[in-house]
Amino acid sequence: MNSLVEMKKVRKTFGAVEVLKDFNLQLQEGERVVIIGPSGSGKSTVLRCINQLEPIQSGCIHFAGEPVTRQTDLCALRMQIGMVFQRFNLFPHKTALENVTEAPMVVKGISRATAEQEALRLLAKVGLSDKTANYPRELSGGQQQRVAIARALAMNPKIMLFDEPTSALDPELVGEVLLTMKELAEDGMTMVVVTHEMSFAREVADRVIFMDQGMIVEQGSPVEVFERPRHERTKAFLKRIHH
Amino acid sequence: MNLDYSIVVNKLPLLLEGCWVTLEISFFSLLLGMVFGTAGALCRLSANPVLNRLAFLYVWIIRGTPVMVQLFILYFGLPQLGIKLSSMTAGVFGLAVNTGAYITEIIRAGIQAVDKGQLEASMSLGMNYRQSMTRIIGPQAAKICIPPLVNQYIMTLKNSSIASLVTITELFRTGEQIIYTTFRSFEVYTVVAVLYLIMNSIFMIAADKLEKGLARR
Ligand SMILES: Nc1ncnc2c1ncn2[C@@H]1O[C@H](COP(=O)(O)OP(=O)(O)O)[C@@H](O)[C@H]1O
Ligand SMILES: [Mg+2]
Repeated sequence: MNSLVEMKKVRKTFGAVEVLKDFNLQLQEGERVVIIGPSGSGKSTVLRCINQLEPIQSGCIHFAGEPVTRQTDLCALRMQIGMVFQRFNLFPHKTALENVTEAPMVVKGISRATAEQEALRLLAKVGLSDKTANYPRELSGGQQQRVAIARALAMNPKIMLFDEPTSALDPELVGEVLLTMKELAEDGMTMVVVTHEMSFAREVADRVIFMDQGMIVEQGSPVEVFERPRHERTKAFLKRIHH
Repeated sequence: MNLDYSIVVNKLPLLLEGCWVTLEISFFSLLLGMVFGTAGALCRLSANPVLNRLAFLYVWIIRGTPVMVQLFILYFGLPQLGIKLSSMTAGVFGLAVNTGAYITEIIRAGIQAVDKGQLEASMSLGMNYRQSMTRIIGPQAAKICIPPLVNQYIMTLKNSSIASLVTITELFRTGEQIIYTTFRSFEVYTVVAVLYLIMNSIFMIAADKLEKGLARR
């Protein structure tokens, strides 16, 4: 089996605060992993370390078999790792279409015509063919998040990271974003999703990871973690989010 | 009270010439000031401690000293060190250095006001710092910077009257020269004031249009 991402003994601190301690994680190609855990447990930090938005203090991270070192071209690395943010972070001065074509054109140097063709295909895929000319502020949260997914996909990444992609949405808009993510999973995309949407985790995840205080407390199939949690902290957390 | 504006009307061509020089000084010092300000802001935000300190010093010194003293050092002070600048060079350069320090702070604040998520989103797509700055952060910061920049442009246009002290015959100095021969202080100064107001108003209206145009996007 090829591991696409491997984090070994990763330590991440912000000043005196140790956010990840001796953190180990392996992701296989095609795997769908859901990370759950209380707020502040380091879930976002794990994702941000994978695409090097955060430098790590010690340990090492491999991507597609290659260690990430000081010599690594971070832009070339990040191109292969799509990221979807809790607050969408769409470019407000660009239309939905321009949001999607921007990086392929600027980073990869793809021609406008080709980039637009691909962007239209992706926007159709996320169900937004009729919104291509709209600016982000003219779109609902759910629509914005789907544009953000299309934008990340436009770079043709090997893996997609989702950091609480539905937490900022009104409840009635959560479904459309989860549906888009399920379709992506069906296409075989490798995905790491930080979410508290248990139904999504049950349906899509190969593996669920429960994190607390910068460490993996337990992991396993959705059934194992949700139905038969072994650790008290997992039980307590699951109890809390079910209420 | 005998006010006679006909004398001033006769001198209007001279005053308009003064306006033109004022616009010239303002334009070039703003252009150069924008270059200094943009460079200053990028240095202020750079991780390089040397550039950062230099930009800090620049802003600190310029903002903490009067613009008139700065111009006098350039025009009357430097010749003592063997550097002789023409009045126009000293005036434009001095105003540019001055306004550049304020513009540094405006642009720095504008860039910092752009949501941090924008840089992260662009970097996560593989853009480098320069690409994120020019394509993503810059345009958004520019929009934020417009109102304070308009303010700064107006200040610079008014400050250009100080250039009269380094013997540039712009609007204010033209007015003074007319007063030497006509002794019509009130009439001349009020007309000079109105001319400044008109120049600034045209600029304010244009800036307002630009701002509204950008807001629609
Ligand atoms: N840029 C930062 N500076 C300082 N502390 C941070 C920063 N980002 C995150 N942290 C801290 O790291 C811990 C983990 O944060 P995060 O990974 O965002 O947790 P989660 O996503 O699980 O809620 C928290 O205690 C948070 O306060
Ligand atoms: Mg988080």
